[in-house]
Amino acid sequence: MIRVLRELWLFFSRDLSIARTYRISFLLEIVEALFGTAMFYYVGRFVDSPQLQQALPQGGSYFAFSLVGFVFLDYMNASLDTFDRSLEEARNAGTLEHLLVTQTSLPVIVAGSAIYPFAATTWRIAVYLAWGALLFGFPLHAANWLTVAVVLLATLLAFSGLGILSASYLLIFKRGNPAKWFMLGLSSVAGGMLFPVSILPDWLQILARLNPVTYALDAMRAALLAGAGFSGIWRPLAVLLLFAAVLLPSSMAIFAWALRRTKITGTLTHS
Amino acid sequence: MTEAAIAVDSLEKSFPPARSGWRAFVQPFEKPTVVALSGVSFEVREGEALALVGANGAGKSTLLRILATLLLPSRGSARIAGHDAAREARAVRRRLGYHAGTDHGFYARLTGRENLRFFGRLNHLSSVAANLRIAQLAEQFQLGEMLDRQVRTLSSGTVQRLSLARALLHQPRVLLLDEPTRSLDAIAAMDFRRFLKKQILRRGDTSLLFASHTLPEVELLADRIAIIDKGRLIACDSLSALKHRTAAATLEDAFLRLTGRTPHSSQEDAPE
Repeated sequence: MIRVLRELWLFFSRDLSIARTYRISFLLEIVEALFGTAMFYYVGRFVDSPQLQQALPQGGSYFAFSLVGFVFLDYMNASLDTFDRSLEEARNAGTLEHLLVTQTSLPVIVAGSAIYPFAATTWRIAVYLAWGALLFGFPLHAANWLTVAVVLLATLLAFSGLGILSASYLLIFKRGNPAKWFMLGLSSVAGGMLFPVSILPDWLQILARLNPVTYALDAMRAALLAGAGFSGIWRPLAVLLLFAAVLLPSSMAIFAWALRRTKITGTLTHS
Repeated sequence: MTEAAIAVDSLEKSFPPARSGWRAFVQPFEKPTVVALSGVSFEVREGEALALVGANGAGKSTLLRILATLLLPSRGSARIAGHDAAREARAVRRRLGYHAGTDHGFYARLTGRENLRFFGRLNHLSSVAANLRIAQLAEQFQLGEMLDRQVRTLSSGTVQRLSLARALLHQPRVLLLDEPTRSLDAIAAMDFRRFLKKQILRRGDTSLLFASHTLPEVELLADRIAIIDKGRLIACDSLSALKHRTAAATLEDAFLRLTGRTPHSSQEDAPE
C-alpha cells in the first residue's frame, strides 16, 4: 500500500514539476477565474428575482447557484478529459511504452496520471469560489466543508470511470472522446448546471435522473450553499458512490482489454 | 542445467492490416494478415550477448517488443528468466532493461535527472539508490551538466545516451536494446560499446539481446549472431561459425549469402 502511495506521489510530483515550468499560464488562470466569476455575478444580477430565488432548490441568489453549477461541471470535464489526455500526451511523447515496461502496475499508472489534473481542477474551483466570496458576496460562510470534501471525492470517483472509458476508446480508435461529448451535451441540458432540473419536461427529468452530474450538483449545492451535513446529502451521495462502484471496476477492465488489443494489433504507439 | 535468460520458442506474430478513416474502426477486430515473425526459436544464456541482424522490417523490433511485454505474440512463447512475457509481464519487467532505439520517450520539460529519477523510482529504486545510479551512469555516459537541463534542449545523441542510462538504471539482468547507438556520434558509440563490454557483459550476470545494423558493433559485442529475414530466423551462431558455414570472409558477406541478397539489391535495407 505504501509503495502504491509512493508511486502515485511520483506521478503527482512529475506533473507538478512540469506545471511549474508554465508559471505564466498559472497566473492567467487566476485572472481568467476572476472574469468568469464576474460574468456569473452580472448574469445573476440581470436575471435574479424573488420568484427565481424561490425556484432554486437551496434558495439564495442565482449567482451562487450558477457559479457552483459551472465550476463543478469543470470537475466532470476534467474527469472525462484527464485520462485520455494523459494517455495521448504519453503516446505522442513516446513515454507510454517506457511507463509500461516499468514495474509499476497499469492501474497505478492510470490513476497516477490523473492526480495532478484533479488537484489543479480543485485549485481552479477554489479560485473561482474565492473570487466569488471576496468580490461578489458568494456565501462561502454557509458551507459544510467536510461534506463538500466527501461530495468532491465521490464525484471524482464516479466521473473517473467515465474518463477511463474515454481513454479505452482512445486506445482503440485513436481519436475522439464520445463519453465527453455525450456527458457534456447531456449535462448542459439535463444536469442542473444553470437551471434546476425541476423546470424540465418529464422525459428530460428522467434523463437527468440517470445522469451522475445531477446528483453531484445536488449534493454539492446542498453542502456548499446550505451547509447540509451527511443526513442532507445521503441520497445523491449514495447514487454517486453506486455510479463509482459500477463504473470504476468495469472501466478498468475495459481499459485493460483495450490495452491488450493494442498489444495484439501493434498500435499502442500509433496516433 | 541453468535456465536460459531469454527463451524464444516457435514465436509467431502477425498484425491486422493497417486501416485509416472509418475502416480504422474495424482494425482492432480484424484477423491478422501481416506476418512479422514466423516460427522463431532461440535462447540466450545468462551473461551471453546475442545480436539480431536483419534488414529493415525483418522483425527485430517486433521480437524485442514482445520480449519487453509491449506486444503479444500470435503463437509460441517468449520467456525471460523462465517467466512468460505474455502471461507474467510484471515478473518479466522486474528483470528487464529496455531501450527502444528512439531519441524520445522523455518528459521534455523535465531535466534529464528528473526524468531518470522518475523512471528509476517507478522501477522501485529507493531515492538514495536512484540518485547513486544516476550519478554513476551520468559519469559513464558523460552526461555531466546536460543532466540538469530540460530534455527539450538536448541533442538527439544526448537523449539517446539518457535513454540508455534509463535502461540500465535498475541494473536489470536482461537488457533489450534496439539499435542502441543509432543516434550517437562515432566516439559516443565507441564509448558505449566499450562500456557495455567492460562494465556490463564482462560481469557475466547480465544477458544482452540487441538489434543493430552496425556490423562492427555486432562483431565487438555479440557472442552469437541471429540473422532474421522476413520474420524467419535463418541462422543463429557465433561469428566464426557463420563465416565458416557460408565460406565468407566477413559478417557482411555471411549475411548476404544467408539471406540470398546481392549487395546491389540490398543497398538500402541491409546492415552497414
